[in-house]
Amino acid sequence: MELRVAGIVKESVVDGPGFRYVIFAQGCNHHCKGCHNPDTHALDGGYVVDTDSIIEDIKQNRYIDGVTFSGGEPFLQADTFVHIAEKLKETGTNIICYTGYTFEELIEEKDENRMKLLALVDMLVDGPYIEELKDLSLTYRGSRNQRLIDVKSSMKEKTVVLEKLYRDAV
Amino acid sequence: MFTKIRKRDGRVVDFTKEKITSAIFKAARQVGGEDYETAENLTERVISYLFKHIKDEIPDVETVQDAVEKVLIETGHAKTAKTYILYRSKRTRIRETKSELMDVVKDILVETSRDNANVGNSPSAKMLQIASAASKHYYLNNVIPEEMSRAHIVGDIHIHDLDYYGKTLNCLQIDLTKLLKDGFNTGYGFIRPPKRIGSAAAQAAIILQSNQNDMFGGQSFPHFDKSMGEVIRNQCPDTTDDEIFQAMEGLVYNLNTMHSRAGAQVPFSSINLGTDTTPEGRKICEAMLKAFGKGLGKGESPIFPNLVFRLKEGINMNEGEPNYDLFQLAINVASRRMNPTFSFMDASFNKRFGDEVAYMGCRSRVIANRHGAEKSATRGNIAPVTINLPKLALKTKDIDVFFMELNNILDLCSRQLVHRFNVIAALKVKDLPFLMGQKLYMGSESLKDLDEIREAIKNGTLAIGFIGLAEALIVLTGKHHGEDEESWKLGYQIIEGIKKAADNYAEQYDLNFVAYATPAEGTSGRFIEKDRKEFGIVKGVTDKAYYTNSYHIPVGYQISAFEKIEKEAPFHKLCAAGHISYVELPSSPKSNLQAFEKIIKHMAKCDIGYAGINFPIDECRSCGVSGIIDNDCVSCGSEDIRRIRRITGYLSTIDRFNDAKQAELADRVKHAF
Repeated sequence: MELRVAGIVKESVVDGPGFRYVIFAQGCNHHCKGCHNPDTHALDGGYVVDTDSIIEDIKQNRYIDGVTFSGGEPFLQADTFVHIAEKLKETGTNIICYTGYTFEELIEEKDENRMKLLALVDMLVDGPYIEELKDLSLTYRGSRNQRLIDVKSSMKEKTVVLEKLYRDAV
Repeated sequence: MFTKIRKRDGRVVDFTKEKITSAIFKAARQVGGEDYETAENLTERVISYLFKHIKDEIPDVETVQDAVEKVLIETGHAKTAKTYILYRSKRTRIRETKSELMDVVKDILVETSRDNANVGNSPSAKMLQIASAASKHYYLNNVIPEEMSRAHIVGDIHIHDLDYYGKTLNCLQIDLTKLLKDGFNTGYGFIRPPKRIGSAAAQAAIILQSNQNDMFGGQSFPHFDKSMGEVIRNQCPDTTDDEIFQAMEGLVYNLNTMHSRAGAQVPFSSINLGTDTTPEGRKICEAMLKAFGKGLGKGESPIFPNLVFRLKEGINMNEGEPNYDLFQLAINVASRRMNPTFSFMDASFNKRFGDEVAYMGCRSRVIANRHGAEKSATRGNIAPVTINLPKLALKTKDIDVFFMELNNILDLCSRQLVHRFNVIAALKVKDLPFLMGQKLYMGSESLKDLDEIREAIKNGTLAIGFIGLAEALIVLTGKHHGEDEESWKLGYQIIEGIKKAADNYAEQYDLNFVAYATPAEGTSGRFIEKDRKEFGIVKGVTDKAYYTNSYHIPVGYQISAFEKIEKEAPFHKLCAAGHISYVELPSSPKSNLQAFEKIIKHMAKCDIGYAGINFPIDECRSCGVSGIIDNDCVSCGSEDIRRIRRITGYLSTIDRFNDAKQAELADRVKHAF
């Protein structure tokens, strides 16, 4: 399958715990004021890569602790990310996903592909970036409204459960 | 006939022909002439020649000297003429360098020169720089053999800290345990051993300061936790944790405020710790890390001391080991403050010394010893010299010729270091009243005030360093060692050659010669500027403002952090006099300590000896917010931002970087995002 990306970073220490392979999706519909990556907004920007080559590249990388989907808005290409996530889960890779939607919005929407993607993600960083709530001290996030969500527990308990490690920092 | 002569400064004075006679006679004697009368006759010929040519005008000195040369040659006194001409050109050179010196002084009075990132701009700093310029001038022209000073001036090699060439030696790992047990004297009276931890910390600062004044390089405590822990155990076992913290905080404050180097510089201080497992030693380590983590009065990151956290299997590397909690604390502090750095006691070349190996913040390492105990305390580097590898490559362009020329330069370096050693070795104990007078150096214990220090300093190291392996490889193969396996192999061979040469010199001179990955703060810009003038702009080599440090992968090259470590690690064991590797992160990894620990463990696995993890620290001077601040403070809007980066091992603020290092900083790519 083909994925439209803004870029790929093979060793990141700021997009989740440990060293992470980060796929920045191209295309975003939130247009947050003060966005850190405005170049990723255009739906026809960036470049197209083959998902198999990404998956292969991730498997080649000896040192990463997990993979992060960022953007752009990954949920605009939910079906393709589901494909990648399913392959990665075969080897138990930890997956983090950033989104400008809130967890509740995604649940209520009941879009089949988006629900599937959500189910494959270990931690979700949700909500739009709100410049007025910008805070440099936050872990893996830009503004105070954004949350680090333990997706598995949240699905089970049918309410948002914050990631245990970072609960204090919220 | 003329009776006056015009001197170089324009003054007109009485003409005395005896001066000409005396100059000719001196030149003649140099080549075996003994006849004063001939000199007198020649003088008459000079005068009549001048009279014929300038009539009644007043001649100037140069005209008279030209006439002397002409007469000597025409009358067949070729050898005397040659000596006279050589003497004259030497005098000219001395006059010219004197005027260069005055130009340098003029520049310094405009703005303090930026060779060293931690010298301030104060009047004392300017005074220090001027004295330094004059000293350099003196040593280059009067003390150092011409072949060596030439090699320095043209940029084949760099003789470090020239201003201190014959005054003192480089650095020391100080035996703090002994000084705190026996007391010491700074020249104004005896300081009693401390009875409280607060006084011990104050004395530690005084010791660093006092000894800094006797040396030109770094000052370090090799086993700070053990030394201070012993004070608690023996003198004040009831000390509370709070008192220990206060004492450590006081020391950090002191080391960032005492401008003891001629009023211009705080001592280059380093503190090694991390492996003492006694309750007292652990408390010292914890308090020092916490005090450093807390920062200065407004929470600013301390620049000094450079903390070096020792890592050792069975002690602090893994969960369940007695000091693993301190390792975790060290990571936590380092992720916010870029300090501590980390030293690896299990590296193949460190392991046989247990946990004895200590590092100086600049990266120097002194342990093996031909003349005495193989320990860190009471020893240091005597002096380093650095080879300009890119120039050698640009000159030779051919691998075989390169190795031949490298041998010649190595030979020159060894002789230069021996020369310096002999100059310093002839100093008396009283010339270095604290360092030698208070017996801080190994082997100085039995020396008297008027004894030479030779027997002591032969326990130190003579370091043969190099710069720009990457650029040299680009010239020789088209690629540097980060991007090509064959180039890496050649690079390894080159540095191995330097190591083997150092081993041979050690045998030949019976002195501790060691290969060194030079920090080279001022050198990186000085060399490349000269080479650009000589060889033009060569892509990937002279097309920037600095040469890449030692064996480092170029800072602008995109490479995985893990791969960078793998490629640089093997060079650590070759450069036993000092080595360091860095990983550059885009921002503070404070919320991702597991990534931090993972890099450190990878370093240990790859046989790294000493390393630091770098990231930008930007701090608002108004409100104290810390993070990546692009322009104005995100919190209060202030433009007064303090920007801290690591340079050649030590931390500094950007405004103190020299031009070459500022350019390097701008090129540094992050190895992880």
